[in-house]
Amino acid sequence: MDRPLDEAELVERARRGDLAAWETLVRRYQGIAFRTAYVLAGNAADAEEAAQDAFIKAHRALGRFRRGAALKPWLLRIVANEARNRRRSAARRERLTLRAAEGIARDAGLNRPGDAVPSPEAALLARESQGRLLAAVERLSEEHRDAVACRYLLELSEEETAAALGIRKGTVKSRLSRALDRLRESLEAEA
Amino acid sequence: MSGLEQRLHELGRELAFPPEPDLVPRVLAGARGRPFPWRAAALAFAVVAVAVATAFAVPQARSAILRFFHVGGASVELVDTLPPAAERTQAGGLGRPRTLAEAERRVGFRILLPKVDHRPRRAYVIGSSVATVLLRSHGATVLLSEFESYGEEALKKLAVNKTVIEAVRVDGAHGLWLEGGPHTLSWIDRESGYRERPVLVRGNVLLWLHDGLTLRLEGRLSKAQALEIARRVR
Repeated sequence: MDRPLDEAELVERARRGDLAAWETLVRRYQGIAFRTAYVLAGNAADAEEAAQDAFIKAHRALGRFRRGAALKPWLLRIVANEARNRRRSAARRERLTLRAAEGIARDAGLNRPGDAVPSPEAALLARESQGRLLAAVERLSEEHRDAVACRYLLELSEEETAAALGIRKGTVKSRLSRALDRLRESLEAEA
Repeated sequence: MSGLEQRLHELGRELAFPPEPDLVPRVLAGARGRPFPWRAAALAFAVVAVAVATAFAVPQARSAILRFFHVGGASVELVDTLPPAAERTQAGGLGRPRTLAEAERRVGFRILLPKVDHRPRRAYVIGSSVATVLLRSHGATVLLSEFESYGEEALKKLAVNKTVIEAVRVDGAHGLWLEGGPHTLSWIDRESGYRERPVLVRGNVLLWLHDGLTLRLEGRLSKAQALEIARRVR
């Protein structure tokens, strides 16, 4: 049986014009590319277009991709640039929302027969608490919100966050530190 | 990891993202529609006067490319409509200000300056590639940007059809003069390989080559004034 190709091999093949290799890479990263674009652009249609154009431009730019480097941060930088070019003003941006509680419980493996499930009151309180946290994230300044969204909500690494936002890792750390302070202040003020 | 950071991670898993689209068919169509031009063209320095629009257009592009030019590390595409772009102040988006010596260490070449009355003390650097100084000349503030000609799309400008684009010579070297309409400007950084953050530019622009560098002069200048400054750059 053929072994699966690793990323470096796929990139090298795509660089030489192998579209099947590029397709594999697009399938691997299109989910995180779309979610990153959605968080930054604030609109699903713009995010789809941004992610699509980013993959097309990345394909054109593969010749400049540094051999041996990680592909994901490089791709996310292109995606984020495309998304920011389409960015909506805060007032026109689609708000991030929480999924329905049943879906979260299902994905978390809860609600199976025989499992202990949280009481309805506890589930409601937890959901309200997360709703307040999400509202506090949305009230952050744009640069703090973007850093929090990339690093925590999208679970990007510090390196990937830095690449997506076009800033240094040290700046990511300092922005996150300030953003967490703002969030704590905001949540304490509400309490 | 603090409790708040943990809650934020959990929040991310609880978000309702829109359904993820399958981008593959359109991405592959786009990739097939445009041959990969970088390697073959990377070292070409001639000014290409006119190219057929469809040869360069990506099928999904919202604006047809009408004509295509390049000089050194810069390319200019004439399009029917400009993409969305941020308008900036003249020094906005140019990177961090540094002393000239720091900027030269960062970009790895000596920054060329024209003989003007007030020699600039600071230079701005984008990534590790593009050095820019602000000059006063002919009663106007003028931007002079310089970068090594590491690829023909290192700097990309999109101009609308009402922009006049004219081939010029500066001390025998190829150049382009852009006058009239607004245009957008984006850079590709040598270090990261890709960077596109278009800004809207309203001033006239001269692009030319000098000692392996691509130079770009921007400001409210006439062509004669811009050429005069360019010829004094050493």
